[in-house]
Amino acid sequence: MAKQIIFTITLLITLGVFFYTVRRLARFFSFTRPGFPVKDIGKRFGMMMKVAFGQTKIFRRPVLGLFHALVFWGFCIIIFGSIEMVVDGTTGTERFLHFLGPVYDFIIASGDIFAVLVGVSIIIFLSRRLFFHIRRFEGIEMKRRSHLDANISLTMILILMVSLLVMNAGYAGYSTASGREAFGSYPVGSFIAGLFPAAGEESFRLAYEIAWWTHILMIFVFANYLPYSKHFHVFMSVPNVFLSNLEPMGKLRNMDSITREVKLMLDPETAFSAASSDAPPERFGVKDAEDVVWKNYFDSLSCTECGRCTSVCPANITGKKLSPRKVMMDLRARMKEKGPLMIRNGREFSDNRSLLRDYISEEELWACTTCNACAKECPININHPALIIDMRRYLVLEEGSAPGELKSTFSNIENNGAPWQYSAADRLNWAQDLNFKVPVMAELYARGENPEYLYWVGCAGAFDDRYRKVVRAFATILDRMKVSYAVLGTEETCTGDPARRAGNEMLFQMQALQVIGLLNNYNVKKVLTTCPHCFNTFRNEYPDLGGNFEVINYTNFLLDGIRDGKVRISNEKFSGSVITYHDPCYLGRANEIYSEPREIIGRVTGSVAEMSRHKSFALCCGAGGSQMFKEAEKGTREIFIERTEEALSTNADIIATACPFCMTMMTDGIKYKNSEEKVKNLDIAELVAQSLE
Amino acid sequence: MSVLVYTENWEGKFKKQSYELVSYASAMADQVRTNVVAVSVGKADETELARLGNYGASKIINLTGDHFKTLDNQVYTDALAEIALKEGAEVIIFTNNNSGKAIAPRLSVRLKAGLASGVSGLPLSLEPFVLRKRAYSGNAFAHVTIKSPIRIISILQNSFEINERPTGAVPEIIAAATPGAAGRTVVTDTFRQTGKILLTDADIVVSGGRGMKSPENWGPIEELAALLGGATACSRPVSDEGWRSHEEHTGQTGKIIAPNLYIAVGISGATQHLAGVSGSKYIVAINSDKDAPIFESAQYGIVGDAMKVLPKIVEAARSLKK
Amino acid sequence: MKILVCISNVPDTTTKIRFTEANTSIDTTGIQWVINPWDELALTRALELKDDAATGVKSVTVAHVGLATSEPTLRKALAIGADDAIRVNADPSDSYFVAAQLAEAVRKEGFDIVFCGIESSDHNNSAVGGMTAEFLGIPSVSAISGIRIENGTAILTRDIDGGKESIRIPAPFVAIVQKGIAKEPRIASMRGIMTARTKPVKLLEPVQTEALTVVSGLEKPSPRAACKFVDAENAGQLIDLLQNEAKVI
Repeated sequence: MAKQIIFTITLLITLGVFFYTVRRLARFFSFTRPGFPVKDIGKRFGMMMKVAFGQTKIFRRPVLGLFHALVFWGFCIIIFGSIEMVVDGTTGTERFLHFLGPVYDFIIASGDIFAVLVGVSIIIFLSRRLFFHIRRFEGIEMKRRSHLDANISLTMILILMVSLLVMNAGYAGYSTASGREAFGSYPVGSFIAGLFPAAGEESFRLAYEIAWWTHILMIFVFANYLPYSKHFHVFMSVPNVFLSNLEPMGKLRNMDSITREVKLMLDPETAFSAASSDAPPERFGVKDAEDVVWKNYFDSLSCTECGRCTSVCPANITGKKLSPRKVMMDLRARMKEKGPLMIRNGREFSDNRSLLRDYISEEELWACTTCNACAKECPININHPALIIDMRRYLVLEEGSAPGELKSTFSNIENNGAPWQYSAADRLNWAQDLNFKVPVMAELYARGENPEYLYWVGCAGAFDDRYRKVVRAFATILDRMKVSYAVLGTEETCTGDPARRAGNEMLFQMQALQVIGLLNNYNVKKVLTTCPHCFNTFRNEYPDLGGNFEVINYTNFLLDGIRDGKVRISNEKFSGSVITYHDPCYLGRANEIYSEPREIIGRVTGSVAEMSRHKSFALCCGAGGSQMFKEAEKGTREIFIERTEEALSTNADIIATACPFCMTMMTDGIKYKNSEEKVKNLDIAELVAQSLE
Repeated sequence: MSVLVYTENWEGKFKKQSYELVSYASAMADQVRTNVVAVSVGKADETELARLGNYGASKIINLTGDHFKTLDNQVYTDALAEIALKEGAEVIIFTNNNSGKAIAPRLSVRLKAGLASGVSGLPLSLEPFVLRKRAYSGNAFAHVTIKSPIRIISILQNSFEINERPTGAVPEIIAAATPGAAGRTVVTDTFRQTGKILLTDADIVVSGGRGMKSPENWGPIEELAALLGGATACSRPVSDEGWRSHEEHTGQTGKIIAPNLYIAVGISGATQHLAGVSGSKYIVAINSDKDAPIFESAQYGIVGDAMKVLPKIVEAARSLKK
Repeated sequence: MKILVCISNVPDTTTKIRFTEANTSIDTTGIQWVINPWDELALTRALELKDDAATGVKSVTVAHVGLATSEPTLRKALAIGADDAIRVNADPSDSYFVAAQLAEAVRKEGFDIVFCGIESSDHNNSAVGGMTAEFLGIPSVSAISGIRIENGTAILTRDIDGGKESIRIPAPFVAIVQKGIAKEPRIASMRGIMTARTKPVKLLEPVQTEALTVVSGLEKPSPRAACKFVDAENAGQLIDLLQNEAKVI
């Protein structure tokens, strides 16, 4: 009886503390913004089963991943025993779940075995942290406190596992010694008990009791420690995965508040009239903790500080200040700082500090290439890029602040419809001197013709000297295939992608609405693109603004054509060449297109070489996130050099790319490494065009 | 009646642009059937002044005075307005440089004389008085008619041929009276770049880009520049890498120059670079890539390895000098 | 201290210039109009001075001579951060005319510093700034690539051949500014555009002035001749061509 009373009291204390913590966090959440509607429960459930319970993302690092998976699965099994202990403790029952019979035996035996597996894994993890220098655990955001937190958590888990094993050994031991039937099966426990033949029933029972209390009290302490620790992910990870962003990674959330403003701006009637009587919209973008969408804060609480995101960040790898992990940790820390102040003084309270600049510097924000490697790598689907872009949005939309070169890029897009200073009148110059005529939409439409496809050339295709050749190659293939298509020619204008990635949501939406209007005027249904950035914007982002088209990337289109026999190629030209393929971030991670370009390459040559970081692990070329249009942030080396070196190390003769920015970067990289004689950079379209029969 | 030409002097001396200006004024004077009066403000060298006579100035005036030591726009305008009225100037000519842009507009309002700036070439007609001038940042020429009886023209640098026609005029040095109202422009400090030919002054510029591969290869560029009497320049990546000084960087974000001859070695011809040199009379491009965009803006081009081509050119330049 | 920035409305720099029938003006269809780049830099610098409380600059006004079609450009200037705008409702016929109007606006409102860009990208006249100062009888300094205000005095950096001068000048004066006056132009933030809708634009009627010049025609520059290639093996031939054909060496 006394045991039950004491236990119930400790349980109530534990629950009380836990309740306090949850309430505190709930109030912090109440300060954040809504904006992440939870739909598609079925898909979410599937995601949760795969990524959380299946641990698929953790396995991206196979060996370490296995140990973590064992720990996670161990926890999943052992939790049944823990729940049973709580019931036993309050009601005085003994192993009340034993009524489940053989199922119970299975659960308990699994728990028993997993206790060893988890224990071994924890010892490995602790050893790595204490005795080895693991780069991923270092960083300016990793203060002493983080390391201490990690070690304490791991130690607690170790204590839990040891106490569980002692419990099991004790129970198995005294059951055998007393001749009573044990509830459950204890393969490891029995083995351990067997190591102490001299111990009697009393010793085993004592060991059992001590271990029992140690275990459950440790659980109570652990449960209340977790919300304040990086190990909060024990509670938060499964829900965080359930609440993942299900959209393609390349898609950025549309700012509806900006859409309202932009529509006013585009209508000459309202463009200069006085503001409506509605209250001015709240802050655009994220400056401080209360500006984030609740899901961002959820992400930051779930973050385990594992550092996998930072270890694959191209900016971080090359010495820039940006660390995706730091961004998450900073949000959590800032809410911890400001949350109590807001509880006391209201949401509007200012302590003259903010997440921006006091925690996360502009230099960090402007170093991001939006490659999505961090989001891809995160085992619990944290969405770092969304937060980074939201902070860029604040800088540009509220302060008009951006690196100088990007301001020029914005002006160029606004004034002449392209990120560089070129006249729209020159957008069809690439089509000169081809031995066929490139059909122009306006001309076809005037004749009453409606082509099947719109081939969207993009600004790089129109103005970049090198990429024009790729566009010409693709147009040549289209002509050969006798595809019904047209280009917009001089009517084309920037999709707005560079503006959106740089945080200029206003300019993006102005461009988007213009382009969508233009395409709808021509009744365009299908859009063919060669540039992955245009592809991503059209396919994933224009629907939010009323642009619903069937968007096809040229690699899919070409592969279909090759498979159907509409495009006839031979491997004569490239059979002797070794080709390596650099996955563009906006085709690969952003849109999960990895195999089509490879299959095309496979058909023009037999010798394919893969870089070690390929497919969803591919390293960014460094040009995304508007980095193409600005000076690189301070770092130890350039991203494109890092990637070029990796490509050259495959000893390939040809580096194949499928994006104008990647092409610029890799070509520059080859020149920089003085390898122009030996290695060429060709686009997929060029490989096909040059292999045409 | 006269054609008044403002010949700026630099520490008492004149430059090539001064003689171009006087030659222009002289040709103009022929057209409107009058004489050229050259006026320089701030003490100038007598021999230097006399040289202006070689290009057609029949009268050479030099206004001296301490108050002319630094350019105060009002003070200079006052002085020139007085001379203009005294000499009955019907056309007043400036160079479209810093001082021309500073003084000519004020003089225009003072004398109620219409101003055309950025002019290239003599008038297209005299009745009405029409000039061709640079417009739309080089994308067009505007024909400007000046309706007022007195006309002020500022001509583009390096746009008129020097023409020797000695007049034997003797310079008149006039010590101008200190003006009643003191000039309010106070110069507190001056920083000057010394040494080599100023990039912005040079008629011939030899420029290197990333295609030069390494700063160690700059020897032939410097040699060629020296042989041709020109200055050296470079493209942005070169100055960013620290191979050459930032002062040499020509381009949209660097110096914008318009020499007679711009030789670009190992420069691809990105638009930003071309924006800095498109005003050059002649552009020569040497590049190993036959598709380099610079060839579209060049009048002469050589497709080849700079390291092999340059020595041949240097050799030819050397023989020329002999 | 009150600063006035004079702005002109010009076609975007990438515009392909086409002429109308009589070749007397440019074809304005489809032209994207922008603030003259030099004026934009001037405005940026003026706003930077205002942002720095130590300078004592209290307001930045923009002034423009133009018709109602220039409204968007004026609003852009307000969105970038100017406090208010003045538009003289007249066609900007020539620099003399424009300067006379601006001078009248300055006389009416009273400003301490007037910024003018050194030239406009359409007419390239480099005249309005100096002319305005002369109309007002106040000092002007040209080729200004830097300005700061210390203890209520303006200290300017003027570009001279081969160097720079540091200049002190008492207000009121006209600063004719060029590249270097500001690092890069400011952009209009979303917030700026929203607040610009409520900023005042004062409309002034023009004073009687005649234009002293008129653009009576437009001409295209002759197209550049295609590149003449010299064989790399005979590279020395280049010198010959430069001397005897081009006559530049």
